[in-house]
Amino acid sequence: MQFRLVRYFTLASLGMFALVALSLIYFERQQGNFFRQTGDEQRTFFGEVQQSFAKQQEESARRDLLTIHESGNVNLTRLFANALWEKDFAPFVAQVQAIDVDGCQAIADITDDQGKKAVPPEKKACFADIGKRITTLPGFKAIDAKVFDSMKKSTVFKIKVFDLRGITVYSSEHAQMGEDKSTNEGWRSAAFDGVPKSELTHRGKFSAFEGVVENRDLISSYLPVLDPGSSRIVGVFEVYSDVTPFLKQIQQTSAQIRATAAGNQQKLEAAGAENQAAVDATSHRQLATIAALLALLFGALLVIVTRADRIIQQQEADRAQVHQQLAQSEKMASLGQMVAGVAHQLNTPLAFSQNNILMVKDALQSMELPMKVAGRLSSILEDVEGDKVTIKVSQLKANLDKLQDGNVDVAMLQEMLKDVLGGIDQMSELVVNLRDFTRLDRAATTNADLNKSLHTVAYIAQTVIPKNIELIEEYGELPEVECNPSQLNQVFLNLINNAAQAIEGPGRIRVRSSAAGDKVRIEVQDNGRGIPDHVLPNIFDLYYTTKPAGEGTGLGLAIARNIVTEHGGDISVSTRVGVGTTFTVTLPVRQQPPLAKAA
Amino acid sequence: MTRLAGKVLCVDDEPGIVRSLQWLLQKQFEVFTATGGAEALELVKQHDFDVVISDQRMPAMTGVEVLREVRRLSPRTMRILLTGYTDMQAIVRSVNESEVFRFINKPWNISELPKVVAQAITIAKTQPVEAPAPEVSDDAPIVANGERILVIDDDPDMGRAVSDLVGASAIVSYTRNLADAVGILNAEPISVIISETRVGSIDATRLVRLMKSKHPEIVTVMLTAESDADTITTLINQGQIYRFVPKPIRTGYLKLVLQSALRKHSALASDPALTFRHTVEATSAGAMESLMSDVRQAAPHAETAAAAKSGGFMASLGAGFRRLFGAG
Repeated sequence: MQFRLVRYFTLASLGMFALVALSLIYFERQQGNFFRQTGDEQRTFFGEVQQSFAKQQEESARRDLLTIHESGNVNLTRLFANALWEKDFAPFVAQVQAIDVDGCQAIADITDDQGKKAVPPEKKACFADIGKRITTLPGFKAIDAKVFDSMKKSTVFKIKVFDLRGITVYSSEHAQMGEDKSTNEGWRSAAFDGVPKSELTHRGKFSAFEGVVENRDLISSYLPVLDPGSSRIVGVFEVYSDVTPFLKQIQQTSAQIRATAAGNQQKLEAAGAENQAAVDATSHRQLATIAALLALLFGALLVIVTRADRIIQQQEADRAQVHQQLAQSEKMASLGQMVAGVAHQLNTPLAFSQNNILMVKDALQSMELPMKVAGRLSSILEDVEGDKVTIKVSQLKANLDKLQDGNVDVAMLQEMLKDVLGGIDQMSELVVNLRDFTRLDRAATTNADLNKSLHTVAYIAQTVIPKNIELIEEYGELPEVECNPSQLNQVFLNLINNAAQAIEGPGRIRVRSSAAGDKVRIEVQDNGRGIPDHVLPNIFDLYYTTKPAGEGTGLGLAIARNIVTEHGGDISVSTRVGVGTTFTVTLPVRQQPPLAKAA
Repeated sequence: MTRLAGKVLCVDDEPGIVRSLQWLLQKQFEVFTATGGAEALELVKQHDFDVVISDQRMPAMTGVEVLREVRRLSPRTMRILLTGYTDMQAIVRSVNESEVFRFINKPWNISELPKVVAQAITIAKTQPVEAPAPEVSDDAPIVANGERILVIDDDPDMGRAVSDLVGASAIVSYTRNLADAVGILNAEPISVIISETRVGSIDATRLVRLMKSKHPEIVTVMLTAESDADTITTLINQGQIYRFVPKPIRTGYLKLVLQSALRKHSALASDPALTFRHTVEATSAGAMESLMSDVRQAAPHAETAAAAKSGGFMASLGAGFRRLFGAG
């Protein structure tokens, strides 16, 4: 099969380029996705960090606020206790202790629909009654006035005082007097553990010293009251202080931080999108560039390969042409050699035939006069009756020389003409052999008697090779062989000529034939110089020759082997330096169908 | 019928040829035939032949080999080589080894061949034979007595090689153009001409042939790189060249050739009658004129001493030719 360079190259490289392009696109996309994912993750993480930062900040601000106010409230309570407890509240609380609250406290709590414990209304009413009783106690009004007086214009909105039973002994909001806080976490912490407990709450409506206020953020602290001069807890204060402006500030700061964070997040997202777009654009550019480069590479390679293909084809054509020319010149050379030999062979019979005919012609001319004389004499004799005739010989005597010249040896003339006929036979034999050799007027492939072919070739070869080389023909019985006899003649002539060239001086060439099964075997053996070892492997190579440049084409044996191979046969050589060489051609009697066509 | 008392031997492996030759020649001469070299040499030993005609292409012995043996066995016998188609090597050997008198091509001219044989018989019968040359070894010095040798060759190395070989014993003139050669041949008696067959673009064999026809005592040695059988056949028949040396030339071989050429010349010079043995065929008409015009055409391009004095050159060249070869 022919190798189609350009087609194979195009298919292979386009396929390869397509693969490269696909894998590049795949990896670019992977990379883009990775960037996108990473960007998203980063943004999310950053957002979360900002969020948590803002939240922490607010929480810490609130905690700080609580802590500051609690400690402020603690101090306030101390001041308040120092100022009011000993003189005013201690006796008042002692009075309240006289009121029995166990009855109210014994009322069981109820569980509401959601499973929460709630205080039943009758319990609330019971404590409210206690509160009313407290407000009726002597000294209440004075204390209330004192508390209001000292708390006016401060951030403290409300003050409550509890005894150690948890009963609201005093509240600046009078409605809450008597309430039970014994179960309250803050009260318990202050009353039992001595630890203040604060809480930040938002109130929609709140009764303050100044009246009812709305929408306020308040910190309420349960604070233990210590007996002055000891660490004994004697009661619990609850102080409500207003932190609405602080909290607003905190909330504002927090909102600011949040806004900044959101802005940052937005910026980050914009930047991320921009980056992603840039990455995508770069990747597209990259892909486009690589695609363009690949296309350029393909174009350049295609040009190179096309050109190379053309050069190779040209070279192939040139080589074929040169080969054909050489084969032709080889044929012409052997033909020329053959023609020279034939010319020489023809020359010999031609030379003596020409010589003899010219001599016979001269003799016939010299016989003209004697023949005339003899003719005249015979006509005279015809007319004469009797046996005596008188002839005047004076004229004949004058031409005696010519008459004597004509007295030629007719037997010799016959010999001469016999030689001429022999010469003509030689020439026609040559012509027949030439025709048999070239076989131009026969079918190319035919069933041929190879012995006859060999004899023809031997005859032709004998005209060329030196006369001191003896050509011995030893032919065995051969079946007719299906072959191209004209081509085989060329092979045999080449082998015999080679054999003759291997012989210096006198020598002997044997041409043998034999049959073996469905094969015939032809041998050309010489007793020449033999083929040296370094030459032997190359003798069938194209263009290999041991002759000087210009004398041998190196095609003879290459062509011979080609012809034999096309016949499905085989050519081999055995040689011994100084002893001689034998070339053996083996040919099948019948051709294989495809080979018959080729041959 | 006048029969010349001449004995002729015809040798050819083809019986038809020898019978033809016998029929052609037997009217005038006593003809013997042989169909092989051995048979021929046997006859030569028994008879004193004036002429031996031999075919070149024969089995066992080639014509050159037969004639070489004939020359050895019977030096006075004139030798004629008959050839159809033959190879260069055979012709060179026929010149150098067999010193043949003529080449005759097949098919021969039946009116000319008897004449050539008659001429050869006359020479064989009337002319003396030079003494056989003593064998000389390769390293023997060249014997010369101031002979003049003219070397005509494009290659100056050739002139130098000849000078080196003869040393002071002979005078060597070298030239690379024929105009100078004509001048030199006019100016001094030349003994040996050693010439290439082609000098520049001119066929120099005509000069040699013309010289030999006028001055048979000059011994000619031809050198050539090319090998054309016709050229040498013509040189033999019309130039009676003494030796033919194919290039490239080995110095040892050149020395042998020179030695024998000088010896040949001294033999020819001492006995002018010997030169008849080297009688040449008439050169074709107009050979001198065509040579002259070729030399004239080539002269302006040749860097010759003579060309420098261009004014009188043509005139002196024409005069030189006429003096050398005569008006007709």
